[in-house]
Amino acid sequence: MHDGDLNTSVVFRLNGVTETFVGEARLLLSDMLRDRYRLHALQTGCENGVCGACTVLLDDVPVRSCTLLIGQVAGRSIETLEGLYGDEELVNLQRCFKQAHALQCGFCTSGMLTTLVGLRRSGQSADDAQQEVAGGMCRCTGYVNIDRAIRCAWRV
Amino acid sequence: MSSPITPIDPAPCSGIGERRGRVEDDRLIMGQGRYLSDIDPGDALEATFVRSPHAHARIVGIDVSRALALDGVITVYTGADLQRLVGPWQMAPPIPGLKPTTVTAMPVDKVRFHGDLVACVIGADRYVCEDAAELVDVTYAPLPAVIRPMVGGPPGLVRVDDQVEDNLLCEQTHITGSFADAVDSADHVERVTFRQARQTHVPLEGRGCIATWNPSNTALTIQTGTQVPHGYRSTIAARLGIDESDVRVVSPDVGGAFGQKLVPYREDVCVSVISKDLRRTIRWREDRRENMLAALNSREDHVDVDVAFSSTGMIAGMRASLATDIGAYSLFPANYMIQVVAMLLPSFYLVEAYEYNLKVFLSNKTPAGPYRAPMAIATWVTEGVIEAVATATGIDSVTIRRLNMLDEAQLPYLSSTGQLYTDISPRLTLDAACERIDYQALREGQARRRANGELVGLGIAAVLEPTTYGSVFYRDAGIPGSGMESAVVRITPSGGVNLTVGVAASGQGYETMLAQVAVDALGAEFDDIRVRLGDTDTSPYGMGSRGARVATAAGGAAVLACQALKRKVLRIAAAWLEVDADQLDLHNSTVVLTDGGDRQPTELSLRDLAQRAYLDPSNLPPGEDPGLEVHKSYDPPPMTFSNSVHCCAVSVDRDIGSVTIERYLVAEDAGTLINPTMAEGQLHGAISLGLAGARQEQVVLAEDGTNLTPDLRYYPVIASDEVPQDVELVDCSVPSASTVGGMKGMSEGGVMGSIGAFALAVQDALAPLGVTVEQLPLNSDAILSLLSRGETRS
Repeated sequence: MHDGDLNTSVVFRLNGVTETFVGEARLLLSDMLRDRYRLHALQTGCENGVCGACTVLLDDVPVRSCTLLIGQVAGRSIETLEGLYGDEELVNLQRCFKQAHALQCGFCTSGMLTTLVGLRRSGQSADDAQQEVAGGMCRCTGYVNIDRAIRCAWRV
Repeated sequence: MSSPITPIDPAPCSGIGERRGRVEDDRLIMGQGRYLSDIDPGDALEATFVRSPHAHARIVGIDVSRALALDGVITVYTGADLQRLVGPWQMAPPIPGLKPTTVTAMPVDKVRFHGDLVACVIGADRYVCEDAAELVDVTYAPLPAVIRPMVGGPPGLVRVDDQVEDNLLCEQTHITGSFADAVDSADHVERVTFRQARQTHVPLEGRGCIATWNPSNTALTIQTGTQVPHGYRSTIAARLGIDESDVRVVSPDVGGAFGQKLVPYREDVCVSVISKDLRRTIRWREDRRENMLAALNSREDHVDVDVAFSSTGMIAGMRASLATDIGAYSLFPANYMIQVVAMLLPSFYLVEAYEYNLKVFLSNKTPAGPYRAPMAIATWVTEGVIEAVATATGIDSVTIRRLNMLDEAQLPYLSSTGQLYTDISPRLTLDAACERIDYQALREGQARRRANGELVGLGIAAVLEPTTYGSVFYRDAGIPGSGMESAVVRITPSGGVNLTVGVAASGQGYETMLAQVAVDALGAEFDDIRVRLGDTDTSPYGMGSRGARVATAAGGAAVLACQALKRKVLRIAAAWLEVDADQLDLHNSTVVLTDGGDRQPTELSLRDLAQRAYLDPSNLPPGEDPGLEVHKSYDPPPMTFSNSVHCCAVSVDRDIGSVTIERYLVAEDAGTLINPTMAEGQLHGAISLGLAGARQEQVVLAEDGTNLTPDLRYYPVIASDEVPQDVELVDCSVPSASTVGGMKGMSEGGVMGSIGAFALAVQDALAPLGVTVEQLPLNSDAILSLLSRGETRS
């Protein structure tokens, strides 16, 4: 639904709760989640969809929220890292990331963890997961320990 | 909505040398890090900069009327507006051969690079500000862009800075011994060439700040991700002409820095000035495009070395010509980075005759500054010279290294550039690397594969990494600077330990590292320790996080402070227990009685002693001041080095020009490692950034200076499938005898070593074709070009 001011109204599920949001149609999903819902786990590193720091699960699929406008989530279900707290896949990944020293500044970590939860849920292999991470960006760790954390989480 | 943070896997033993899990991780794995954009700025306005689309142009006029008319826009500042609020500053340290330059908070007359500042929009939110920025009408008169200043040109060449002729900002020469005599005595002289491409840091979190001017106490608070909070504070105070005491800088969690967050930028000055002018909180956060265009560049260094040597491979002398392009403005002392390269080139080889000439140029490019291992090219150059000597003499390059390398028995050794080497172990690391990689067998295997037509190579890079600069170094080199660091440690009345130093973190795990130091140096329980960093109101003055100085300088200061506090604690305990203080120790926050070899815990805890010291001080021993708090500072030795050897084995696909890293090994001596797991993590990160530039990352400009790599779609940041799958590490740690705690530091050597090892590995792989690698990055286009050049030759 649009009004004359370029605003739109979007109904969607956010971390298990049905939300109705009214805002500018050009608002990025990443900005809506961070600035309007104060969900600060996801970060924005590039706003081009390249780095992966803004990843959320959209109907269980990892997507880069900076590449979506709010209207594109109408009727859909979003999970951010906050909504995954306590999920056994997340807890397993968090343990592995910590033990493998797979994070330093932490800015990419939420995006990495969210992506990997999505891949675990859809039954992807550890190799697939490592390949997926190759499509994202970490500037601190040099990736070696992230790959170790993935193999730990997949029990490889 | 948040969840309680639950620590996972507490380690049983948490002192120096333990692979303790990080305390930072508990919040970061929950996405509860507090980065600049996560801070609620309250009643803040947003700042967005209008930036030049031209690399070089006069600003003819700026019309802000359309921008001002937009709902939600408060005001727009131009360079002329800001000139009335903040004066220019000079970059003119007392460096011979350096021309002074002037920088303004925002250009008034002309812009000098694609992305340079033109105006600042202040508005309700980022979306409105970006709309308004597009409505600021700027009339430019474009000028020719200088993008190849090092090549030189005819007189009357376009000037980037009207005061700087030929765009040559600085020239310096150093002579030790006589290269001419070395040439006379030598059998061979070779010219070896090294060109590194311009790069940018790409920290995942860009720059930004929140400036709050509080009119009631005329004080400015700035929240910003910075590596050097106290330096930032001093600089902003000076720019604004306000008392340093009236500025508070707070650095929250930072999403990476790598040298790009060392100093306040012109944007920070603008935002601070505007906050004071409008008496409002102003927030600025750059996006990735701004970061790529305008934050900082680095690494565009050209080095040519003439090396004179005997037929037996002994190097008699070297002469180096160095040039670097620091871009449009000198935001750092111009010679700062390239001079360190020049001073490092002889490395730990016995080169008695050494001359260098260095030149620093301005250009119409993003200004340059330090990027993790600003001296990185030095290793590739030195080791490339070694390889050239090996090729010319037909002697194996490891043999050449051993022939010319100083022996640990020759320490302390004063290099030809006046560097005192005291605690380095180059032979140890070379021997360890060659042994672990099974050098002979590897070469034999390569020969067999080459006979089958494969292009396979091994690159070896012996690294000398200067990590920690003491104040004496700066004084003797004539560079303004200090190497000091400070620590404050206090015990709270309930027995907790609070430790703070003058550095700020951007992912290095300092909260954990320094707590580990306190476990050993004070005797406190790890979980009772809190390390708080980054706030100039509560941290003592320090020179911040840069180079690889924190383990040595901040770790050292923390050791001194903790040891002094422990002595006080044990004096109080001794009086309490009526024993001698030297019969007591502190362990896990409990006073321990050491009786011969026996250690018996007493009933006294840190909490008991703190209660007496703060709340019952009349019962302290005579002469003992109340409270439990110590401040100590530490000025490390003039220079501290760590050293390593990197070995990189590659194969090159001759059809598509791709390079596969088959094996990567490092032998490293970084002295006492506070946390070996974190040191390994630093090594991996450093290797990835070095390979980034060696393999693929470069800033590309059009002929008119337009930046063609302004975001991550165009600038090919290194990915996980482009770094080694595994880095084999041979631990050669030998504690330093010269630093408090024995730390040497590390974290930049990995950049130096990976650039050198990768470049030389590819060169080795292409050696059968008779080509040398003179230019980085070695992307597939570059390699295909080298291959076709080699094939033409053969």
